[in-house]
Amino acid sequence: MSATLQHRRPGTEAPRLPDAVQQDWHGETYHGRPAVKASSFDWRVSTYIVILGVAGSAQLIAALARRAGPEARGLVRRARLLALGGSMVGPLVLVQHLKTPSRWFNMLRIVRPTSPMSLGSWLLTGFGLLSGLSALGELLGRRWRFARRVGDAAQGPAALAGAGMSVYTAALLSSTSTPLWAAAPAPLAAQFGTSSMAGAASALALMQRAAGEERSARRLEALATLALAAEWLAGREAERRWRRAGIAAPIERGTTGALHHGGGKALGVVAPLAAHGLGRVVGGRVGPLLPELASLAVLLGGAAMRHAVLRAGNESACRPQDAFRVTQGARR
Amino acid sequence: MAGGLAHPRTLEYTDRDPQGPVPQEAELTAGHRVESGRSYGFFTDTTLCIGCKACEVACKEWNNLPADQPGLTGQSYDNTGRLGAHSWRHVTFLERGARATSMPPFQSNWLMMSDVCKHCDPAPCLEACPTGALFRTEFDTVVVQQDICNGCGYCVPACPFGVVELAKEDGKAHKCTLCYDRLKGGLEPACAKSCPTDSIQFGPVEALQQRAAARVEELEAQGQTAAYLYGTPGGPGATGGIRRLNAFFLLTDRPERYNLPPAPSRPSRNARPSFLAGLATMAGLAVAAALIGVGRR
Repeated sequence: MSATLQHRRPGTEAPRLPDAVQQDWHGETYHGRPAVKASSFDWRVSTYIVILGVAGSAQLIAALARRAGPEARGLVRRARLLALGGSMVGPLVLVQHLKTPSRWFNMLRIVRPTSPMSLGSWLLTGFGLLSGLSALGELLGRRWRFARRVGDAAQGPAALAGAGMSVYTAALLSSTSTPLWAAAPAPLAAQFGTSSMAGAASALALMQRAAGEERSARRLEALATLALAAEWLAGREAERRWRRAGIAAPIERGTTGALHHGGGKALGVVAPLAAHGLGRVVGGRVGPLLPELASLAVLLGGAAMRHAVLRAGNESACRPQDAFRVTQGARR
Repeated sequence: MAGGLAHPRTLEYTDRDPQGPVPQEAELTAGHRVESGRSYGFFTDTTLCIGCKACEVACKEWNNLPADQPGLTGQSYDNTGRLGAHSWRHVTFLERGARATSMPPFQSNWLMMSDVCKHCDPAPCLEACPTGALFRTEFDTVVVQQDICNGCGYCVPACPFGVVELAKEDGKAHKCTLCYDRLKGGLEPACAKSCPTDSIQFGPVEALQQRAAARVEELEAQGQTAAYLYGTPGGPGATGGIRRLNAFFLLTDRPERYNLPPAPSRPSRNARPSFLAGLATMAGLAVAAALIGVGRR
C-alpha cells in the first residue's frame, strides 16, 4: 500500500500532481517547521468552555425538572441560579483571553454564519439574557408575579440556548485547520456535550445534597452516570479517529497525555462511574461522602478533559507531519 | 528631471508634483491597471525564484514591519523561517540533494519559493472572524482592519496555510494586505514590483491564471515536466471547498516540500456536522433525564 493511500482519509480525494513529481508523500516536511499555526487559546478558554457547558446544561435540567411540578422548586431555583452565575463569570474569563479585551463588544458588530465564534458570541449573549430572566423569576417571583411568569416563559428558550452552549465550543474548535480538532468534529461535540451534562448534574447533585434533598440528588447522579457513560463512548470514538488519522500522539503522550488519561478519563469518567456504580450496588449505606467526591471528580475531570483537548490541539498544530497527514486528500 | 529619478510618464501629468506617484503606475510596472471590482492576486513562479529575498525586504520597508528574526536558523538560507505577523513574504529554501550532473549548467537543483498569504476564495480566516475585522476588499483580496480586530485569535488556527498571526506588540492579527494601500493608489504591490526575476507577478487573477498555464506548457516543452500550478481551480491547494487561491504558485515538487498542504480544506465545513451531532447528543441526554425523572423526589 502506498503512503498516500495510507494517509488519505476515506471519502477524500487527492489532487492530481504531474507524473514527474513524486506521487506519494513519504513524510517530508519543510525543515520540520509547523505548516499551520497554533491557536492562542489557553486555560482561560478551557475554563470558559467548562463553566458555560455546565451553565448551559443546568438550564436544560431546570426546564426538565420544572415539569415535575412544585416538588422540584428547589432544584429549578438552584439550576437557574447556577446558570446565571456561569453566564456571568464565564464571559468575564473569556474576555480576558482577548488580546484587546476592551474591544470585546466588536463580537457583536456582525453576524457571521460561517464562524462558530460569531454565532457562539450571539448564543452566549442570548443565553446570558435568558438566564438572567429565568433567574429573575426566582429572585423576584415571590413578591412580583409578573417576574415569575417572565422567568417561566424564558425557561424553554433558555434550555435550547443552553443545549447550544454545551456543545458549540466543540464546533468552534473543529472549524479550524488544527489537525487534532478538525479530525473529529462530531465525537468532540458529543464529548463536550455529555461532559457538560455530567458536570451540571454533578454540580446540582452537590447542591441538592447540601440542601438535604438527597433523593433528588440521586436522580441527578444517575443522570451524571449516564452522561459519563456516553462521554466514554464519544471519547473512544474521538481517539479512534485520531489514531486512524495518525495524529493521536499529542493527546496520548507527555504532560497533555497525562492530563487526558489521568484527569479527563481516570478522574473524570472512570472514578465517578465506579463510585456511582458502587453506590447503586450498596444502596443507602454508602453515605454521602462517596457520591459527593464523585461529583467533584466529574467537575474537575471535565475541566481536565477540555484543557487536554485544547493543549493537544495546539501541540498538533505545531507538528507538520500531522498537518500534512490530514491534508493528503479533501472532500469535494 | 535632475538625476532622471522621476518616471518619464510624469511628464504627462505636469500639473502634478513630479516627484509624486504616477497615476496607475502598475500599468507600467506590471502591465495591468488596478481597478476596483476586479480580482487581483499574485502568480509566484518558483522556477524563476533566485532566493534574493528582495520581496521580503520590499514588503518590510513598505509596510513598516519590524525585524523580528535576528538569529540564524541553520535551515539553508531561510532565516525568516515562517510567515507571521511581521513577515508577509517568506522565501523558502530547500537544498535538494547534490546537483544532478545530468542537469544543464547554471542550475542548482534547489527549491526556492516566495511564500505569501494566498488570499483564498473563500477565505477561512475571513469566515472565522467574528468581528468583521477581516474583510474582502474591492480588489478581491483579504485584509485585517486593525481598528476592528480585538485579538480573539480565531483566524490564526483557521488558516489552512499558517499565515495569519497575532503580533506580540499590539495583540492584533496581521498578514499580507496585498498592499491594499498601494492598490488604492494604482501601484503594483511592493514585493512584485521589487522582484528582479519576475518570479512574483501581479495582475488580475484570470489573466495570471492564463499566463501561468502557458508557463507550465512552456516549461514542459523545455523538459521541465514536473511543473504544475498550486491554487488554481481544481488543482492542488484549491480543494475541500476552497475554490481558488488568488495568490497561487508554480511548483516543481510535492507541496509539502514548500510547507504547503496538498489538499487543504475549508475548516468551516466542520461546524455543521459538529454542532448537529452535539445537539443530537443533548436531545438524547434530555430524554434520558426525563426518563430518570430528574426533579422528582
